[in-house]
Amino acid sequence: MRILLYLAIIIAGGFLGYWDKLPKGLTSKLSRLQFFSLLFLLFIMGLNIGLNKEVVNTFFKLGYQAVVLSIMSIIFSIAGVRIVAGIITKNKEDSENEC
Amino acid sequence: MSVSILIAVVTGILCGLFVFPETFSGQIGYMIDIGLCLLLFFVGIDIGRNKGVIDQIKSYGLKVLLVPLMVAAGSIIGSVAGGALLGLPFNESSAIGAGFGWYSLSAIELAKYNAQTSALAFITNVCREIFALLTIPFIARYIGKLESIAPAGATAMDTSLPVISRATDSNTAVVSFITGVVLSLLVPILVPVFISIGFK
Repeated sequence: MRILLYLAIIIAGGFLGYWDKLPKGLTSKLSRLQFFSLLFLLFIMGLNIGLNKEVVNTFFKLGYQAVVLSIMSIIFSIAGVRIVAGIITKNKEDSENEC
Repeated sequence: MSVSILIAVVTGILCGLFVFPETFSGQIGYMIDIGLCLLLFFVGIDIGRNKGVIDQIKSYGLKVLLVPLMVAAGSIIGSVAGGALLGLPFNESSAIGAGFGWYSLSAIELAKYNAQTSALAFITNVCREIFALLTIPFIARYIGKLESIAPAGATAMDTSLPVISRATDSNTAVVSFITGVVLSLLVPILVPVFISIGFK
C-alpha cells in the first residue's frame, strides 16, 4: 500500500508540474527544496545507522561487500544493454533513412 | 553537492552515536515517510515540468524502454551473483541491486527491514554512483554510447546525466534521461518487493 502512496505522490507532483499551476516562488526553489529534503533524509538515515552500534562496528566488512556488489551490478548492466543496443540503434538508423 | 551529502550522513551517524538515545529509533520510520513523501513530490513536479520528455518517448518508440529494463535486470542479476560470492541471502542482495544507484531511497526503504542491510545498500549504491561517474567516459568511448548509460542506473536522469551528455550525444542523453526516470520509478516498487521475498 505504501508503494501506491509513493506513486500517487509522484504522479500528483507530475500533474502539478505539467499544468504550470504552481506559484513561481515554488518552482524557482524546486531544486533547493529537493536538495533540503534529500539532506533531511540522509541525516535521518545516518541517525538510523549511528543508533545501531552493530552496523558501525561492521563498517569495514560492509565496505568490501559494497565494492563487490556495485561492480557486479555495473558489469551485468553494461552486458544487458550490450545485448539490446544493436536492436535500438538499428531501428533508429532505419527511421532516419526513411526521413 | 557531494560534500553536503557526506556531511548530512556523517552528522546523522554522529548524532545517532552520541546525541540521541537508542529509544529514538522507534520514531525513525515515521520521519523517513515524511521526508520521502516530500522528496518524491518535488521529483514528480520536476518530471512534469519537462514536457519534452513525452514527445521524445513517442519519437523513439517503446523499444527505448529496453535500455532501463536491461539495466534493471543486469543490476539485480549482478548484485545477486555478487551476493552469492559474499554469502548474502537472495532477498538482501537483489533488493540492494534494485537500488540502481539511488542510494538515498534504497537505503531508506531498507531502513525499515534492518539497519545493517540499509547501510550496505547505502554504501553499495554510493560506490555504484562513484564508479559510474568515473567509468562512463571510458565505456562511451570503448564499448558503446548506450552502454555508457548502464552504470549510472537511476542517476542517469540527474547526477550522471551531464557526464553521459558530454561523453556521447544529445540522442543518448535523452535515452539516458528516460532510463533514469523509469529506473527511479522502479526503485520504490522493486526494493520492497525483493526484500520481502521469503521474509515474514
